[in-house]
Amino acid sequence: MPTSRTTSRRLLTGVVGAAAALALTACGGVKTTSSGGGDGKYPTGNIEFSVGASAGGSTDLITRALAQGMSKELGVSAPVLNKPGANGALNAKELQAAKPDGYKIALQNASLFTITPLTVSPAEATKIDSFDVITGVSRDDYVMATNAQSGFKSIEDMKKAGKTIRYGTTGVGTGAQLASALTFKTAGVEATAVPFDGGAPALTALLGNQVDVSTMQIGEAVENIKAGKLVPLAVFSDKRIPYLPDVKTAKEQGFDVLVTQYRFLTAPKGTPEDVKARLLEAAKKTFATPEYKKFNEENSLTPMEVSPQEVLSSLQKDTATYKEQLSKYGISLAG
Amino acid sequence: MDISPILNGFGVVLEPSNLLYCLIGVIIGMLIGVLPGLGPGATIAILLPITYGIGPVSAIIMLAGIFYGAQYGGTITSVLLRLPGEASSVVTVFDGFALARQGKAGTALGIAAIGSFIGGTVSIVGLTVLAPVVAGFALDFGPPEYAALGVLGVLLISSVGNGNKLKAIIAACVGLLIATVGRDTFTGAERFTFDSLNLAEGIDFIPIAMGLFGLSEILYNLEERHNQVHAPAKVGNVWPSRQDLRQSGGAIGRGSLIGFVLGVLPGGGAVLSSLAAYAFEKRRAKQPERFGKGAVEGVAAPETANNAAATSSFIPLLTLGIPANATMALMFGALLIQGIQPGPQLVTEHPDVFWGVINSMYIGNILLLIMSIPMVGVFVKILRVRPAILAPITVLITLLGAYTVNNNVYDIFLVIAFGLLGYLMKKFGFEPGPLVLAFVLGSMIENSSRQALLIFGGNPTGFFTRPISGTVLALVVIVAFLPLIRKAVRRKTPAPVDVPVDAPVEEKTS
Repeated sequence: MPTSRTTSRRLLTGVVGAAAALALTACGGVKTTSSGGGDGKYPTGNIEFSVGASAGGSTDLITRALAQGMSKELGVSAPVLNKPGANGALNAKELQAAKPDGYKIALQNASLFTITPLTVSPAEATKIDSFDVITGVSRDDYVMATNAQSGFKSIEDMKKAGKTIRYGTTGVGTGAQLASALTFKTAGVEATAVPFDGGAPALTALLGNQVDVSTMQIGEAVENIKAGKLVPLAVFSDKRIPYLPDVKTAKEQGFDVLVTQYRFLTAPKGTPEDVKARLLEAAKKTFATPEYKKFNEENSLTPMEVSPQEVLSSLQKDTATYKEQLSKYGISLAG
Repeated sequence: MDISPILNGFGVVLEPSNLLYCLIGVIIGMLIGVLPGLGPGATIAILLPITYGIGPVSAIIMLAGIFYGAQYGGTITSVLLRLPGEASSVVTVFDGFALARQGKAGTALGIAAIGSFIGGTVSIVGLTVLAPVVAGFALDFGPPEYAALGVLGVLLISSVGNGNKLKAIIAACVGLLIATVGRDTFTGAERFTFDSLNLAEGIDFIPIAMGLFGLSEILYNLEERHNQVHAPAKVGNVWPSRQDLRQSGGAIGRGSLIGFVLGVLPGGGAVLSSLAAYAFEKRRAKQPERFGKGAVEGVAAPETANNAAATSSFIPLLTLGIPANATMALMFGALLIQGIQPGPQLVTEHPDVFWGVINSMYIGNILLLIMSIPMVGVFVKILRVRPAILAPITVLITLLGAYTVNNNVYDIFLVIAFGLLGYLMKKFGFEPGPLVLAFVLGSMIENSSRQALLIFGGNPTGFFTRPISGTVLALVVIVAFLPLIRKAVRRKTPAPVDVPVDAPVEEKTS
């Protein structure tokens, strides 16, 4: 069948071509990075930002905003790779093992170093000494809120309700869980945690009256608070949050609960000084752009663009406080 | 009813890039509909990694196009070559090929295209009207409801689908087991990870789907390949005569309804509905002996029904988050990959995705109607690509695709492992569908029921006293006993259709 032969050959060429094109695109994602660092020419290749959370969450969004700005400053592309799992521990372990050449960096959450170690075995805990901190980035504070239909106006109201309060959290070993657990314990409110996989389902459960109260990141709750569907009960920062100026801190209400979530940029331990300096410079320039400032505002993020030393001392202080409070009140965060 | 989100959905579809993805989807769909062996399920599985890089709306528009496009493609080879490209086009062979031998292949294809278009459109309208109703009580769906829905989903697929029920349940159990691998979301404890970092976050959906559907299908078909290709019949005049239209009008109307209803029912889908529509037409015909000898209704009814069903099977997925069949389980996974949880919240939380996808089906069906006749010649030629050439290329693309998702070689090995598992499963009569479905629903069932128990303070009666979860659980009980009820009914009525024994009527992946 000579005719069918030609047809099949022509088709074959097409399919092979398509496959080759696919192969090329695939290679585009893993463009080789030169062994940079130390020679003063950094960066010469792509800088990969990895995210220990799935696409769409706040860690992911901040990383993307930062990567976009820094890519412009450094003149190389900065692909963002999502490696979700174990509250970011999986991504942290990979970063820890990466070459300290400045071509693989990641934004990390404070809670991974301050709270997660309180819920997992010491061997599993991620340690900050395995990384070089480049700069602090921003704070993403927590708010405790209840459904407007619940009738609760304050934490005291829940105490008077005389029933076990079910509270939604954004997961085990998160600041949302810690903040709620500490508050209910110090307020003497009988309460059970219901962990959800992130802020969105915790919010949904609260809106649907599945739980009495939920603690979430401010950005996740702010729209519904403004719409009057949710009543904010407390924020857990040191001072009031500019995005919710009328909401009292837990401290103001007489509960000694201070839980904050913040993020900072890290590289593997042993990254050359000049590389770190270059990255810090690019990050600072990004922070100063109006686009990035607007991004912070739109997502209810408070800038915390501080030095590595300040980040480290915050982490140390928070870890000590949380540990002490948990043992003082006899709270276990693991279910 | 507020129609502005629906209109916005059209805005989303009419973006040039989305139109392009819709077109690409339906063309791929038609193509794989023509190629026997490679079903829409396998194709969607193989293409999953590509959807990673494009937005959720575009991705689902394209994948949906593949699914309903395949229903059109399957017709072409059924009529011209007596070779159903899809399981859902098997019954089309009886009258379609008979018509082709009478020189009326064009008429058969024309009627099938018109019927498919009408059936598809009727279903989309149903979807448009029904979805907001479900979404109206979306917030009443809490952890207990999701837990109950998940159980119902797994049970339905393993008990209502074709094939051996016990084997389906075993496959579903394996899927549930695989879903437990990884870190416990409630305590942070590691389960079945064997201290491997790669297993710590659980097993990814993509390699499972690609292996079980994509790779295993290719392996299985390489072995089974003994299809003799007939010389294609001449197409002839494609515009049906007035008499043909009159004859098939009723069949198209009834086919639309049968397809819509059976598509919504979990486990139904395109295969079952095409059989049912054909049987129904034959039974109510004045001269049933015409069937199998070139009755136009014999083509119109099943082709209308399979398209209506392909579309309406999106209803349970998009409004409740229950995939009705294996292909919908893949769509479920594709949405999850994009960070979108299908369910009652979808309409309000992601109206662009929801209405974008639904409205793309109107456009896709129009594109298919326009394309189906002029492209017939091209698609028939594609059939001549030898599997020995096609298979290795497909395998290569599959493995490359699996790697690119996480840039992780470990995923390639996972695909191969699940490919072999899927091949063995098929060989021993286990369908991969229930496994994948149970895997997808597994973590939902586990997390939701544990959350629900925390909310109830440990008292499980709450599952039964809440109206929605109680109703769903009542359905669970009914479905569990359905096989017994069916057996009782079947004893009284004889089998409705005489499907040739050697016809490949396996539920496959459609």
